[in-house]
Amino acid sequence: MHNPHPGLPEIDYIKPATLEEASRFLASHAGEARPFMGGTDCIVRIRDGVWKTKYLVDVKGLDGTDGIRFEAGKGLTIGAAVPMNKVAAHPDVQKHYPVLVEACHWVASYQLRSRATIVGNICNASPAGDTIGACMLLGGVLRVFGPDGMRDEPLNGFFKGPGKTNLKPGDIATALFLPLPPAGSVGRYIKLGRNRLGDLAIVGVTALGYPDASAASGFRFGIALASVAPVPLRASKAEEILAGKAIDEGVIAEAAQAAMDACTPIDDTRGSARYRKLMVRNLTRSALVDIWTKIRK
Amino acid sequence: MSFHRITLTINHTLYQVDIPGHLTLLQMLREKVGLTGTKNGCASGECGACTVLLNGDAVNSCMVLAAECDGADVVTIEGLAQDGEMDSLQKFIIEEGGVQCGFCTPGILMSARALLNRNPHPTEFEIREAISGNLCRCTGYNRIVAAISKAAQYEHPAA
Amino acid sequence: MAVVEKQKTNNPVGKSVPRNDVLEKVTGTAIYTDDIQFGPGLLHCRVVRSPYPHALIKKIDVSKALKLPGVKGVVTGDDFDEYIGLYLKDRHLFARGKVRFVGEPVAAVAATTEEIAEAAVELVEVEYEELEPVLDPEFGAQPGAPLIHPDLGSYERPNFIFPVAGTNISNHFKIRKGDTEAAWPQCAAIVEHTFRVPHVQHVPIEPHVAVAKMEENGQMTLWASTQSPFAQRALLAKTLHIPESDFRVIAPTIGGGFGCKAGVTMESIPCAVAMKFKGHPIKLRLTREEEFYTNFVRQGLVIHLKVGCDKDGNLLAFENRMYWDGGAYTEYGVNVTRAGGYSSTGPYDIPNVKTDSMCVYTNHPVGGAYRGFGMAELHTGVDQVMDMLAEKIGMDPVEFHKRNCVQGGDVLATGMVIHDVGIKECIDKVAQALDWGVKEPPSSPNKLRGKGIALAWKAPAMPPNAGSSALVKMNADGTVTVSVGGQEIGQGTFTAMAQIAAETLGVPYESVKVSGPIDTRYSPYEWQTVASRLTWSMGNAVRNAALDAKKKVLDMVAEAWNEDPKDLDIKDGYVISYKTEESISIKDIVVYGLPKPNDQGWIGGPVVGAGSFMPTYVTGLDAETGQGDRAVVHYTTGAEGVEIEVDKETGRITILRAACSFDVGKAINPALVKQQMEGGFVQGLSSALFEGMQLVGGVTRNPSFVDYRIATAADVPPEIDTFIVEHAQDDGPFGARGIGEHPLVPSIAAVAAALHDATGLRITNPPFSAEKVYLALLDAGLVE
Repeated sequence: MHNPHPGLPEIDYIKPATLEEASRFLASHAGEARPFMGGTDCIVRIRDGVWKTKYLVDVKGLDGTDGIRFEAGKGLTIGAAVPMNKVAAHPDVQKHYPVLVEACHWVASYQLRSRATIVGNICNASPAGDTIGACMLLGGVLRVFGPDGMRDEPLNGFFKGPGKTNLKPGDIATALFLPLPPAGSVGRYIKLGRNRLGDLAIVGVTALGYPDASAASGFRFGIALASVAPVPLRASKAEEILAGKAIDEGVIAEAAQAAMDACTPIDDTRGSARYRKLMVRNLTRSALVDIWTKIRK
Repeated sequence: MSFHRITLTINHTLYQVDIPGHLTLLQMLREKVGLTGTKNGCASGECGACTVLLNGDAVNSCMVLAAECDGADVVTIEGLAQDGEMDSLQKFIIEEGGVQCGFCTPGILMSARALLNRNPHPTEFEIREAISGNLCRCTGYNRIVAAISKAAQYEHPAA
Repeated sequence: MAVVEKQKTNNPVGKSVPRNDVLEKVTGTAIYTDDIQFGPGLLHCRVVRSPYPHALIKKIDVSKALKLPGVKGVVTGDDFDEYIGLYLKDRHLFARGKVRFVGEPVAAVAATTEEIAEAAVELVEVEYEELEPVLDPEFGAQPGAPLIHPDLGSYERPNFIFPVAGTNISNHFKIRKGDTEAAWPQCAAIVEHTFRVPHVQHVPIEPHVAVAKMEENGQMTLWASTQSPFAQRALLAKTLHIPESDFRVIAPTIGGGFGCKAGVTMESIPCAVAMKFKGHPIKLRLTREEEFYTNFVRQGLVIHLKVGCDKDGNLLAFENRMYWDGGAYTEYGVNVTRAGGYSSTGPYDIPNVKTDSMCVYTNHPVGGAYRGFGMAELHTGVDQVMDMLAEKIGMDPVEFHKRNCVQGGDVLATGMVIHDVGIKECIDKVAQALDWGVKEPPSSPNKLRGKGIALAWKAPAMPPNAGSSALVKMNADGTVTVSVGGQEIGQGTFTAMAQIAAETLGVPYESVKVSGPIDTRYSPYEWQTVASRLTWSMGNAVRNAALDAKKKVLDMVAEAWNEDPKDLDIKDGYVISYKTEESISIKDIVVYGLPKPNDQGWIGGPVVGAGSFMPTYVTGLDAETGQGDRAVVHYTTGAEGVEIEVDKETGRITILRAACSFDVGKAINPALVKQQMEGGFVQGLSSALFEGMQLVGGVTRNPSFVDYRIATAADVPPEIDTFIVEHAQDDGPFGARGIGEHPLVPSIAAVAAALHDATGLRITNPPFSAEKVYLALLDAGLVE
């Protein structure tokens, strides 16, 4: 039996004035202090005792964490403090990154998304994170301020395990940069929960496809899977199949099967490994068929 | 344990409150300000009973630290009626029979208010989505959905 | 805007008048227990709980906890040796010597803040020695299973509960009617099947909360979110050795109950602590996780069924063997078992019946009352075997149900002759609403589509002599205050009571107020707010009280006017004379009386009507055969149907539309009846599709809303048709009987029948999750 605290245990709330100050505090209180953005993961995990945090360091409002900036020809920068609802409602995001909007839509509930952030979703590295797949497929790069100053962390290779990333004590992710999606790209996020809305993913499939003359098939696809491995998973074998030969229903089925074979889910309260694998196949196939129908035209 | 002095507007009144760092907005409203209309149903952001408007948008107040709210504008269920006149959502949820035990009602009304503020003409499914983070065990939801729909039509009859 | 103020509704019974408790609820000003402010003397309580399903307590060391600043004290089982229990007295306030389920209270801490109390809980050291647990009721009922209550034979019990000493069977209810063995060879078709229904939680949105305070003079006050203030007073007063009149329970607005706030649940804990720290209010709020871990549950059920019919589809024989997973103690479980036993056939007329309904102690959470009180679990099996038998004999299920459902005058399995029931009309209305017999094409090639129907019945499950009382107080301004002891838990009972009082007295509905909160010091007695019994039982008490008040008013005016009271009546708040056509407002006179003719003194005085009601006709049932003249007061019957689609890609079931119809005798307030049908159906739907406690080794693996999903607004069919059928109840107020629980009862079976219609599959262990359905489709070769 794990019986969480009725409220939060005693923690201190720290509001530093600068990124440097925040980073210094976090570095000198490694293991006890965490950067605090939307708080929707922090508060839950501190309350249930999974995180033994003593200090929450509010980084909202620090340099670069606010706002959404779209630069034509370059890409999109989403501040770490920007809640998902703001991202999903932003006209440039809706126009250029519809798959991210779709993914945001599937996170928890509206009022949770008023607080939850894309960057927080990435930093907490839940294998079930709904928006992570879209950010990975879109070539996302985290802007991280650490003890040694600013650096970039590409999302491919960023995740090390459930809740584990390349971030070190003192690191603060300030923003996410998403380059312009490839021309003609179409994406889908399909999520399966136990009930229609609000659940954590039993399986989540993000797929993005676009025309690419350099591929043998004339198209390139990216596929990312949620809740079926210790980290958000790229189905690279499936991606290769779709790039490698002329695409038809059979090839899509083959790719979906490859995605299924690539994942290593576990049994948990939400679903069995067996069901999850089958759902990876079916939902990947659905997503690919949807995208293929649109991009082949 | 550190204390923070914050100044914020709650239901159009300015408050100054001293709170410890671990206190949530929900706890502050209920225990420090005496506004108990906002309900605690799970303390983990899942049931929506504690929904309030924070700077105009619906949030789970159990998922917000009070210390973050310095300078914020908060509207709770007690602030939904204006000048003694009930909000149209309050009137229609009564008329449609969308209230039974009433424990989820404040949170549902705040979620619905935020919805109509950002989307005056929601579809039926948009209404269901907007309140899908508000659990109700009594009503079966359909009368709540109807009430929100009617309030939207009443507020903006054009559509 | 159609919200009307200052309306006057005369003769409100049968009209959908607005509820009288909603203004507070929509403005956030309704006071629930957790909203009451108790000042700086308040102490917070947190509970040390067992981490093991079955273990001996070797040692409890509270010394470290006591040293924590802010800790007032710790109480343990050593402090309280009495037993408590609604039916079978089988538990202590805190575990003594042995723990029997995960989450069982072992000790409680009182401290100045909730945080300190929680920190102190972690400092209480308890040494356990684990024992082999019983985790399956069927296993637990077998000889040789570890004994959970070796003292079962000596527990105090009422005369209608039959524990089997030396076993884990805390109640064994039997029916032996006719001769099933002789009937089987005559059957043209027989279906035999086993169903497993999981534990589910009630999930009121308001968690349990209680505050107790003992005065220096020994008087105790308990503020609690409760359905049962009077039962709590009786049980806790006895257990804590406090005179019942010195024990006061105040029941503020309650944020949903569904049975889990009936009887004594966690309220005993702050009461026990309050006895040690007199003068301090002691508050205990359960976390949502504690709600899941430690609360009463709808107990799990393993049900073995065998049913047979002749070639024309007439039911001939029925055997039902039920193992109820009663959990570690049996607050309500033993009576759920009894109710499941005497109603074990479902609403079907069957000549030969053999039933064994057993409540079995396990090391699972404690079985409680849950909306439907055993009936949803029972019907999940019974209605499915009926659907299977109809299929086997080649008969349409609607025709089969109508051929076999109970009708007025039928002799039930207990020997009781049933009153007039409108269940056939209910079946017709549901079938018609769903276009029964018309096979609709699925919305896409990836979907399968089907329809299903199921029946339900339920009687109020209660002691034979559960009583109600009411007071009707007339006010000088012409309004009326009704005092009752039954709780408004969202079902609208305060509204219905105001309607009954207004109708009976002859005043507008808007003139009647129902006084709350319920307070055992001032409110008249009510057994409990359970069993869908208030409209009927408390309604009778209110009607009797209103009749008493009316008589007093008319007698007074008759004397003043020198008329016969028989010629007088009250209409729209005026006493009128049919003879002289004179009239006078009831204002003022109902308090100040009337001057005698010629001003020689006064007549009357403040008018207070009193009324009570208790069924006097319920008989005992034979322990070996379950036979008796009248097992229950009455049955509410009805039917529900759904049309569903199954997604072949994921297994997900979508409910396209639903229809519910119940015979409520008389709808005092049709809108409220329909709201009960909709809400109850959706709660049932939620348990059909999503809900089940995942108990592994006695530990609940999904103790939060993250992992125990309930239906949200997005899971509900937009169209739920509801139909009221009214075959009057002979002893109901205006013919009414209850409807609070029944709409939940057939939901699972209706979805199961539709699932079979869509896919050909029978899934016998709800919930019908997407995963379960998909894997069944896969295993049956229906998907690749």
